[in-house]
Amino acid sequence: MSALYEGLADIFEMDASEITADTSLSDLTWDSLAIVSTIALFDELYGREVSIDSLKNCATIGDIEALAAG
Amino acid sequence: MIFAPTPTGALLGGGKDRVLLISSSNGMARVPARIVAVKSFLPERVLDNEQLANELGNWSADKILDKTGIAERRVVGEDQTALDIAEGAARALLDEVEVVPDFLIFCTQAPDYFLPTSACILQHRLGLPNSIGALDINLGCSGYVYGLALATGLIASGAARRVLLLTADTYTKFIHPQDRSVRTLFGDAGTASLIEAAEEEGACIGPFVFGTDGAGARDLMVEAGGARLPRDAETAVAVEDAFGNVRSAENLFMNGSAVLSFTLREVPKAFDALIEKSGVNHDDFEYVILHQANKFMLETLRKKLRLPKERVPYFFEHVGNTVSSTIPLVLEDLLRQGRLTPGTRYALLGFGVGLSWAGVSICA
Repeated sequence: MSALYEGLADIFEMDASEITADTSLSDLTWDSLAIVSTIALFDELYGREVSIDSLKNCATIGDIEALAAG
Repeated sequence: MIFAPTPTGALLGGGKDRVLLISSSNGMARVPARIVAVKSFLPERVLDNEQLANELGNWSADKILDKTGIAERRVVGEDQTALDIAEGAARALLDEVEVVPDFLIFCTQAPDYFLPTSACILQHRLGLPNSIGALDINLGCSGYVYGLALATGLIASGAARRVLLLTADTYTKFIHPQDRSVRTLFGDAGTASLIEAAEEEGACIGPFVFGTDGAGARDLMVEAGGARLPRDAETAVAVEDAFGNVRSAENLFMNGSAVLSFTLREVPKAFDALIEKSGVNHDDFEYVILHQANKFMLETLRKKLRLPKERVPYFFEHVGNTVSSTIPLVLEDLLRQGRLTPGTRYALLGFGVGLSWAGVSICA
């Protein structure tokens, strides 16, 4: 998952070490650009499409990780 | 000489009414035609990131540049329309090439009127002969490639020899001033290209690949103002969305996530299909010119297409996303730099509103 954390850290303009599964997206800039960027990140890391609705329903970094694992 | 399609498909039906199906992989191939010249016209007014940061708040000028790659956009004046800037581009082109086209195609999504056709008005304004054909096509970011397909088809059939292909749009007129999601991206521009039957050995336009998915019609849309939803007091009411962007049904709406997903899903497939249909290798295209949406979209797509930076030319930093004009703006820049010398093989890939996409292989 480190590649995912690094990618998310880039999106949220923070250090990967500051990110944990419990980090709440409401404390970050989880806006339309961040969602678009996460779709691109999933495509790059896993070569697959993640649905916008499932990302919109995420509340924590852990929720995004679960989507990546699924 | 035209390379005719090979009739390898199946024959259906019987007797004199039977229909000949032509295998799509052997569909219309290369037409000996060339893009002789490309010229653009940019409106005078500049909208830079400092102005946007002041008006929108939230994002700094540096952040806008970092995320979009766009430093400034051009914006038409209140009395200026897509037709006006298309005329500006056409005049610049006709002054340079000094030939008279026999067909005019105008690609826009912001016509002056429901009717008559803007291309007819342009024929008169440009002083072109009454003997020319003229029509509009309504497409956005894929429009230039579709326009080239029509121009090439007219040339291949002998219906025309010199086609003036114009593109112009004024999305800024549709955008709500407080909608950061699109205001930072789009700019206005017009372009003019002259497509001619080629005398030179090797110069060709085609093959083409096309794609359409109307299921995504609402992902990039100006809903009100046409026949389906005429403007009224209700359509003018602006509301704020979950991300703090404001718009009414009369404004441009873009579902950026859906458009990105569509692009990453369809454009690589279209590129692969173009490679196969062209009978070339991935590395045989000296340039792959993508619709210039914004830096984020282009870089994501470029990496997915496994193309090095030097083969994917960009031209958007000082104009923004100019819809159907982005690809010809890149072509104009490459021609200006002398980088499209005879024999250069390159590809164009347009994609966006519709949803609609298209690609073409060209040999200069």
